[in-house]
Amino acid sequence: MSKDYAYDAIIIGAGPAGIACAYTLAKNGKSTLVIERGNTPGSKNVTGGRLYTYALDMVDEGLAAEAALERKVTHEQIIILDGNRSISIDYHDPSFNSECKSPQSYTILRAVFDEWFANKAVELGATVACGIKVDGLIEKNGQVVGVVAGEDNIYAGIVIAADGVNSLIAQKAGLISDIKPHAVGVGVKEVILLPSVTIESRFNLKKDEGASCLMLGCTEGIHGGGFLYTNRESISLGCVFVVDELAGHGRQVHDIFQELKMHPTIYPLIEGGETVEYGAHLVSEAGYREFPKKPYKDGLLVIGDSAGFVISTGYSLRGIDLAMVSGIAAARAIIAEKDPVRVGPVYMNELEKNLLMPTMKAVDGYYDILEIPRIYSSYPKLAAGLFEKLFTVDGKVPRSMKKEIRGLIKQNGLSAWQLIKDGFRGVKSI
Amino acid sequence: MAKIIACYKWVTDEADIRINSEGSIDFSKAKGKISDYDKNAIEAAMQAAQSIGASAVALTFGTAKAKLSLKDALTRGPAESFWVCSESAEKADGAATAKVLAEAVKKIGDYRLIICAEGASDTYARQVGPRIAARLDLPCITSVRGFEIQGDVITATRKLDNRTEVVKAGLPALISVLPEVNEAPIPGLKAVLDAGKKRSTEFKLQDIGLTDADVAPRTEVRDFKAYIMNRKNIIISADTNADKVKELVANLRKDGVI
Repeated sequence: MSKDYAYDAIIIGAGPAGIACAYTLAKNGKSTLVIERGNTPGSKNVTGGRLYTYALDMVDEGLAAEAALERKVTHEQIIILDGNRSISIDYHDPSFNSECKSPQSYTILRAVFDEWFANKAVELGATVACGIKVDGLIEKNGQVVGVVAGEDNIYAGIVIAADGVNSLIAQKAGLISDIKPHAVGVGVKEVILLPSVTIESRFNLKKDEGASCLMLGCTEGIHGGGFLYTNRESISLGCVFVVDELAGHGRQVHDIFQELKMHPTIYPLIEGGETVEYGAHLVSEAGYREFPKKPYKDGLLVIGDSAGFVISTGYSLRGIDLAMVSGIAAARAIIAEKDPVRVGPVYMNELEKNLLMPTMKAVDGYYDILEIPRIYSSYPKLAAGLFEKLFTVDGKVPRSMKKEIRGLIKQNGLSAWQLIKDGFRGVKSI
Repeated sequence: MAKIIACYKWVTDEADIRINSEGSIDFSKAKGKISDYDKNAIEAAMQAAQSIGASAVALTFGTAKAKLSLKDALTRGPAESFWVCSESAEKADGAATAKVLAEAVKKIGDYRLIICAEGASDTYARQVGPRIAARLDLPCITSVRGFEIQGDVITATRKLDNRTEVVKAGLPALISVLPEVNEAPIPGLKAVLDAGKKRSTEFKLQDIGLTDADVAPRTEVRDFKAYIMNRKNIIISADTNADKVKELVANLRKDGVI
C-alpha cells in the first residue's frame, strides 16, 4: 500500500512556528506536511501562555477574532517578592479591550490553541501527522532533501525545523551546538482550576478580561522569575530558573516553586483551586546573543524556539508571537524562492523585513540587566525595605529618607557605587 | 477480496476523566480514543488478513464524535473503514450495538472472520462479540490469546482461569481477542499518511435497514460514580534494604499474593 511521498515542504513540529509556516504555505498552494511528536498538537507543551494577537493577524487577517483564546489581557502586573513581603505594580488599561479593536494580547491554553491552529492549516490543505518522532534528516550532497521517521523516509523540497527549544534537528544539521546551561532556563508550571467568577473577583477583572503577572524575587537569587496568567477557568502559575545557576544552588525546583505558591501574596490568588496539570520544560533565555549564526542550510530552515526566537525583558515574555512571525518569514521565503539552496538568505531577508530580527536586536540589551545577580535578591530586598520604612509610622521622629536608604544599601550588602554602576548599565542596556 | 472485519469502539479517554471530591465524574474535558483492547483486535485482523491473503477492514458504531476515530483506525493498517453513525450509539447497550454491527457486517459482505476485543476499555461488558456471532449464526470463540487460520478452519487458544483451551471452528467465524493476542504497534509516518488516502464509508441506520426504535437500549446507565478502593496504608520502615524486602515479602505472603 505504502508508496513514496514527496512534499514541497516538511515542517517538524506543530507548534505556533510550524503551524504559522504550514498555514501560509498551504494557503499558497504548497503541499505541506507537518510532523508532530505529540499525540495532538500542543499536547507536549508547557508554555504559560500568552499570545500577542498581531502575529495571528499577520498569519491571516481576522484569524485572531476566531481563535481559541482565553482572556483578553487588560491587567499587566509585576510583583516583587521578598520573604513574606511584596510590592505589586498593576498597570490596568481597559483600552486593551476596547470594542471594534482586536485586543492586544490574550492568555491561552496551548493544548487548546495549538489544536485549533493546526486544524486551520489542515482546512487549507496541509497534512498534520501526529504521534510521530522525526529521527533525522536525509541529506544528499550536503543538501537536506527529506526526513527519517522510524523506518520511513519522506522527501521534500525543503525541510523546516520547528521542533522547539533544544532543537535536535538543528543540532543534527550542525546549525546550533548543544544547549548551553546559561542560555536556557528550566520552567515549571501548574494549571490550577478555579471558577471564572473567583478569578474575576481575585484579580479585579471584568468578564473575559485577564491578568498577566511576572514575579521577581521568587527564585532564591537565581536568575529567573515567576509568571501567572489567568485563563477562563484556571490559572497558569509557573517559575523559570536559568540552568547553570540552578545546578549549583542545591535546592530542587519544585521546592522553590512550592514556596512561591504558599507566599502570602500568591496563595490567596490560587486558594481553593485544584492543580489539574503540571509540567516542566526548557525555555530559551538568551535571545539575540545566542541566535545561531546561520539558522539555515541548503534545504533546511530553522524557525521559532529552535532558532531561539524568545524575548525576555523582565517585564514581558514573548515567544509565541515571534515563533509565528518567523514561521511566516520562512513560508514567504519558500514561496518566493524556488531553489532550496538559495532560500536561506531570502529567509534572513524576510526576518528583517517583517521586523523580527530588528526587534530581537533592539531588546538584546535587556539581557545585560537580567544578568545582574543583584536583581534577583538584593534589589527586591532593598525595594521592600524602602517601602517598609516609607509606610512605617511608630510615633518616633522619622529619620531622613537619605539616611534610611544609605542604611538599607549597607544592610543588603550593597554599595552606592554598585547601585550607580548597575543603574548606568540598566540605562545603557535599554 | 474476502474481508476480515475488526470491530472497534471510540471511547472516552480515561486519562482525561476527572473525579470530583464528592465522587461524581467529570467527562467535560475528556477526549476520545480507540478502546485500547480494540487496537489489538485491529492488529489481529491485520495479521490474519496477511496470513490468508484477505483484506482487513475496520468497523465502528458511534456518534458524530466517532468520525475522529476513522483516520486513527486506518493508520493501524486496515484497507478501509466503515462507520455506522447515529446518536443512539451514546446510550446503546451491548445488544443494540451487536444488532447494528451485525447488520453492518451483512452490508459489507464477503467476510471470512470478524474480530472483536474481549470487551471495551470503558464498559468491559463482553457482550458485543458473542451477540454479533449469534445474530449472524456464526461460530464464536471468546477469550482468544492466539490463533491461526488454515484453509477454512481457525484454531484458537482460549485463556481460561488457570488453563488454556484450544478450539477449532470453520470459517466464517467470530473471535473475541484478549490484549495479549499481539502487540499493537505504534503506527509509523507512512502509515499515517496512507490513512489519509484510504476510503471511509459512513452508514446511517436506515442504510443498514434499521430504525432508531431497533437500537433502543434495553438496559440503561443510571449513574456513574467513582469507586474508592481502601488502601492498606502500610509503611515498611525497616532500617536496611534487605530488611525492607523481607518485610514486604512477609506482608505479601500474609495476604496470599505470593
